[in-house]
Amino acid sequence: MEFKDYYQILGVQPDADDKAIKTAYRKLARKYHPDMNPDEGAEEKFKEVAEAYEALKDAGRRAEYDELRRYGGRAGGGFEPPPGWQSSAGFGGAGGQHFEGDFSDFFNSIFGGPGGDGHHSRSGRRGQDAEIEMPIFLEETVSETSKLVEYRIPVIENGQMKEVKKSLKVKIPPGVQDGERIRLKGQGGSGMGEGPSGDLYLHIRLVPHPLFDVEGHNLVLTVPLAPWEAALGTKITVPTLTGKINLTIAPNSQAGQRLRIKGKGLSTKTGRGDLFALLKVVMPPSTNSKTTALWQSLSEEADFDPRAQWSN
Amino acid sequence: MTELVLSVSLHELCQYDELDEQLIVEVVDHGIAQPVAGRNTVDWVFDATSVHWMKKAVRLHTDLEIDWVAVAMVIDLLRRNEALERRNRHFEHQLKRFLDQ
Repeated sequence: MEFKDYYQILGVQPDADDKAIKTAYRKLARKYHPDMNPDEGAEEKFKEVAEAYEALKDAGRRAEYDELRRYGGRAGGGFEPPPGWQSSAGFGGAGGQHFEGDFSDFFNSIFGGPGGDGHHSRSGRRGQDAEIEMPIFLEETVSETSKLVEYRIPVIENGQMKEVKKSLKVKIPPGVQDGERIRLKGQGGSGMGEGPSGDLYLHIRLVPHPLFDVEGHNLVLTVPLAPWEAALGTKITVPTLTGKINLTIAPNSQAGQRLRIKGKGLSTKTGRGDLFALLKVVMPPSTNSKTTALWQSLSEEADFDPRAQWSN
Repeated sequence: MTELVLSVSLHELCQYDELDEQLIVEVVDHGIAQPVAGRNTVDWVFDATSVHWMKKAVRLHTDLEIDWVAVAMVIDLLRRNEALERRNRHFEHQLKRFLDQ
């Protein structure tokens, strides 16, 4: 077992006072807290810092740690607590302490293993919850089929903790939105003793679609039009999530205009959202002498200043 | 087929290691999570997304030793940040459709 220098972990001197230790902990905890810092490795770092603080914030535990540090800290290599070592500031102490965190073997060997309070130890311990990202295709949100979810989860078998792969079929609830979380009861880590299993939370991620953008329960489809189609109007076929429909473009349509197609959006709890066709006028990539001549005559004929607003 | 539950009751939440009724009441009092149903505390029911933020709030409160008002502010900003990131991704995506040929 490696000896852990808690002072070094917190970046303080061994004679630092309580205030300095608290300040150092708070600073590092803010930096590495997994809820504030999504970087890989941040969580490990946070655990280390939290463990160091847990050991040093209590005067009794700190005194014991200091004693061990003098005894074993310089040895280098492996560390073992002295024979017959028993903490009086750990779990056996008068306060009947209970450590919430999951601490290293080193910590547990000094202050005793993570015990449960009465509530947990009598009835077993509830299994861990798991949260996984679940990418969903837009097509899947409007279909009736169920989706296969595969994930790894720690379970206890014959008293041993091990990771197993689980797979589940999940029916996507209608009206589910990007970023929403759904709960699968009892599908998390298995409990200890008679404790119930934890839950599995699925964090829904709608996969970006090549054609459709999502706005709440509505979909937006960008529809490219030739300038003359926007000017003269036309009938076109547009894709929806479940098929194709015909759409009439009115004469004198404008780029950026949105046409509403009712009931062709994403599912809601009660029905379907709408599909919006967002018009985009596209110039042909090349011209020939004939089309250039036509544009030329149009420019002479049309009385239109697209920058009229600038002259005010 | 697995049982898919869209809500979590107060009783179930109290079985979580990191939560108890008093903490949940604090979280609700500070507007960090709102029950979706239940007039009295014992009847409270939350949606799964609230549970996510509730656990985060309790972790921040205990791990960083920050008071509930500050936790509520942090959670509010984290939620807003998540929503803005989502909006930003959406607009970037849509802008690309308009700019690219």
